[in-house]
Amino acid sequence: MQKIEAVIQPSKLDAVKDALVEAGVAGITIFEARGHGRQKGHTEFYRGREYAVDLLPKVKLELVVRDDMVEKAIQAIIGAARTGRIGDGKIFVSKIDEAIRIRNDERGEIAL
Amino acid sequence: MTATNSEPIRTMYQRRSGEIRRAFEVSGSGEAAVEARSALLDEVIRVLWADEIAADPRIAQGIAVVAVGGYGRGHLFPFSDVDVLFCAAKNEAERAKDAIRRLSQTLWDCGVRFSPAARALSECERFAPENAEFSLSLLDRRSVAGDGAVFAKLDERVAGKLMVRDAKAIRGEILALTRERHARYGNTLFHLEPNIKDCPGGLRDANVCGWLHMLGSVTAPAEDAEFNDAMAFLTSARCFLHYRQQRDENTLDWQAQDGAAESRVGLHGSASPDAAAWMRSYFRHARIIDWWLQRTLESAGLKLLPGKELRRVKVTPTHGFQLKDGQVVLDPAVLDSGAAVDPAVEPEVVLSAFAAVAKTGANLSSASEERIADALHRFSANLEEGPALWQKLSAILTGERAGFALRAMHGIGVLELILPEFHGIDALVIRDAYHRYTVDEHTFVLIDTLHGLEAPPEAGAPEWRVKLGAMIRELQNPGLLYLAALLHDTGKGRMSDHHAVESAVIARAVMTRLEMDPYDAALVLRLIEAHLEMSAALRRDIFDAQTVRAFAARIQTHEALRMLTLFTYADIQAVHPDALTPWKAENLWRLSMSAANQIDRNVDEDRVHVQEAGEDVAAVLALLPGKEVEARRFLEGFPERYLKTRSKESIVQHFEMSTRFADEPFQIAFHRGAAVNEIILITRDRPRLFSSMAGALAAWGMNVVTADAFVNAEGVIVDNFRFTDTFRTLELNASERERFVDSVRDMVAGKTSIERMLSGRKGRRRRAPRVQVETRIEFDSTASTHSTLLQVVAQDIPGLLRAISETLSRLRYNVEVALVDTEGETAIDVFYLTYDGQPLHGEQQTELRAALLEAIEANAG
Repeated sequence: MQKIEAVIQPSKLDAVKDALVEAGVAGITIFEARGHGRQKGHTEFYRGREYAVDLLPKVKLELVVRDDMVEKAIQAIIGAARTGRIGDGKIFVSKIDEAIRIRNDERGEIAL
Repeated sequence: MTATNSEPIRTMYQRRSGEIRRAFEVSGSGEAAVEARSALLDEVIRVLWADEIAADPRIAQGIAVVAVGGYGRGHLFPFSDVDVLFCAAKNEAERAKDAIRRLSQTLWDCGVRFSPAARALSECERFAPENAEFSLSLLDRRSVAGDGAVFAKLDERVAGKLMVRDAKAIRGEILALTRERHARYGNTLFHLEPNIKDCPGGLRDANVCGWLHMLGSVTAPAEDAEFNDAMAFLTSARCFLHYRQQRDENTLDWQAQDGAAESRVGLHGSASPDAAAWMRSYFRHARIIDWWLQRTLESAGLKLLPGKELRRVKVTPTHGFQLKDGQVVLDPAVLDSGAAVDPAVEPEVVLSAFAAVAKTGANLSSASEERIADALHRFSANLEEGPALWQKLSAILTGERAGFALRAMHGIGVLELILPEFHGIDALVIRDAYHRYTVDEHTFVLIDTLHGLEAPPEAGAPEWRVKLGAMIRELQNPGLLYLAALLHDTGKGRMSDHHAVESAVIARAVMTRLEMDPYDAALVLRLIEAHLEMSAALRRDIFDAQTVRAFAARIQTHEALRMLTLFTYADIQAVHPDALTPWKAENLWRLSMSAANQIDRNVDEDRVHVQEAGEDVAAVLALLPGKEVEARRFLEGFPERYLKTRSKESIVQHFEMSTRFADEPFQIAFHRGAAVNEIILITRDRPRLFSSMAGALAAWGMNVVTADAFVNAEGVIVDNFRFTDTFRTLELNASERERFVDSVRDMVAGKTSIERMLSGRKGRRRRAPRVQVETRIEFDSTASTHSTLLQVVAQDIPGLLRAISETLSRLRYNVEVALVDTEGETAIDVFYLTYDGQPLHGEQQTELRAALLEAIEANAG
């Protein structure tokens, strides 16, 4: 089992969700987030005053999938979230030791 | 020791419970079911207690078995807990410990959620704040079995000591628990999936009325037929829920609503309503319970919402009502020519009373409410539509507690009399995954949320909260925003797929009846039509220039953008208490900021070409049959902004004015508004027009709020100035209005010297600004292919627009488009300029910047 964390543009959330469902991913957790990578922020002027926009709105997704599903899920996210511009986001993948379904104590991949 | 073989009891209990359920399914009477279950439990407990006495005769004396709480009231719902007090004269409870345990065990084996408590008499006579619910449960007590003498003593001590000595503390506790429970449900009964027991207007509130009555000096609601009908309905509905869910579940979810409608729960007659109609019945009954709760609290001297202290404001003494003891009270009827005249039938008085409620937060007294409700047909006959009604409605909407007043008006039926269109969304349940409240309540919560923004933000509040607060406080005519809020979802009552369009159709009819100013009406319509636009834009990339440009093009003006930003914030917040996260709120503010920067950027570029006539042009032409050719010539070349920000009727009026140049080359239309006045000049373009208008208004002491100037392909200009009348010259002197228009015309035509008129105003003292605004001058050569955009941001002080526009004229810059706006004490003026038909080059920009800085400084000095 592996955990995929993806930070994407909020406007791409619906497309990414659809792509993941299409790829066979059952569960996703979504967080509203702010941050920046190489995109950094920028400055806005509003009615004569300057405002710094240093942390940009992002959405973070977390999903845990079987090992054989990892690449399929990654490709689904990339396919739906990529525009080719700075700010498209990042994907992080890490190993998961155990998954437990609280309702009935099932463990391992069956609990996903 | 085993006193009872539980199996026969269990069999009997289950058989009888089944009979009660079947009887309920046949008769539909919840009250019969809860009374029958209560009687069944009495019977079972008496048998079990008798068996225990037979096994240990020592417990026959000194212990009373007392039903308390709902069971004590004889109202035991199918899966409710059975609360029983084993009350001991002294310390006999210890002796009966095993008997109580066995009795409890048998009842649990029967499937009864039995909740026993053992107390000595002395523990029952004193109110214990740390266990207030126990003391409250004693208010509903009934002897079931055991020592009758002990129960008699308990009854005497509860009634004679607890309920007398501690009445004040108990009332306080009831109020605190009610407040806490109502707060959990957002202080409203209008939930899409209400909890029939705990929500405001639920059965617990009916219990509260009963308790306060027992504690003395308040009317017994049980004597009221409507209250009893409501209780019967809610009791049946709760029984239905318990049987359906097979547990103590009291939430009317959507599936349960379908089931209740299909089974006609609580209804008479044979027709099965749909779920929405059944829910309307539910809300009608819940409203009655809620009304009785308010009335009972009022007569007990208690107020449900402690956080909302009454505002200390002066209410202008008006005939017909008074503000006394924290209540708005209608005056008694008076005799006039032998006939009694009741203020409750006078729309002027009643609406002023509601405006006082909205302004102060004082509630309308119950007696006044009843009088208004009883006199609705005469009120309706006396009601006159038109500007006076809009003025009253606006006063209510802009009061800090408007939501409170509107709910009261809605409850009594006054709101539907003045806006029959509101009936379509009365207690309307529309099922979706997001909304928590009925459509009408969502509207009131939205209005509450907007008023909440007017309060100063807490220390350390995020930037968006500070900015939105400033934005709403600086609106020139906030009544328009609140009217849009009131009507924005009325279209949902028509069950269309496009409720925003339907709501706009309804709003147009309402505003026609109110004879509202065309500019104001057009703004309200645009807000309603576009009320989902900003939420939709938030789902796209708000940093993408294309997204922002498209959104700005839909909104067109800063005034509309400000109102839509505020509206969207409150609309999302009113969907559900958790719907508007700080993340979303900040994105909303960012989008508003980006759109504000974009909104004036393409005005000179996007122009009307009638050959490619879109919907807007077609709509205007449709109003001018037989004059299409002339109308097309008039429209050709105006910026799209002109068409999108004016009502079609206004554009037709402008066209008609342009056909009268032969009689009068300077066509002027003046409209005096309640908050903002408007003057429109239509003439052939010539130098200094805009600065002359600005100067003329400054000479009269008028404060320009917004202005724009557009020119068509034939050189016909439409200058529109919206201004406040600082010294109330035009408001207080009707005769001055004509002189004002003539004077402006003479100044624009050069017949009167503007400078001479202005000199009379120089040297007058000005109020010190609350916020210092630094002057910023920016040029943008990319916004248009044939002109240069100039933006001036400066302190908004009288004469500023005149100083800027006069400088432009003096240096021979031609104003192709002007867009003037103010935000609080900041003036933001945008001009698209040409010099000999060309954009400005670098040196010209430098020269103009220096000249403007000098002129602005001179005006300020």
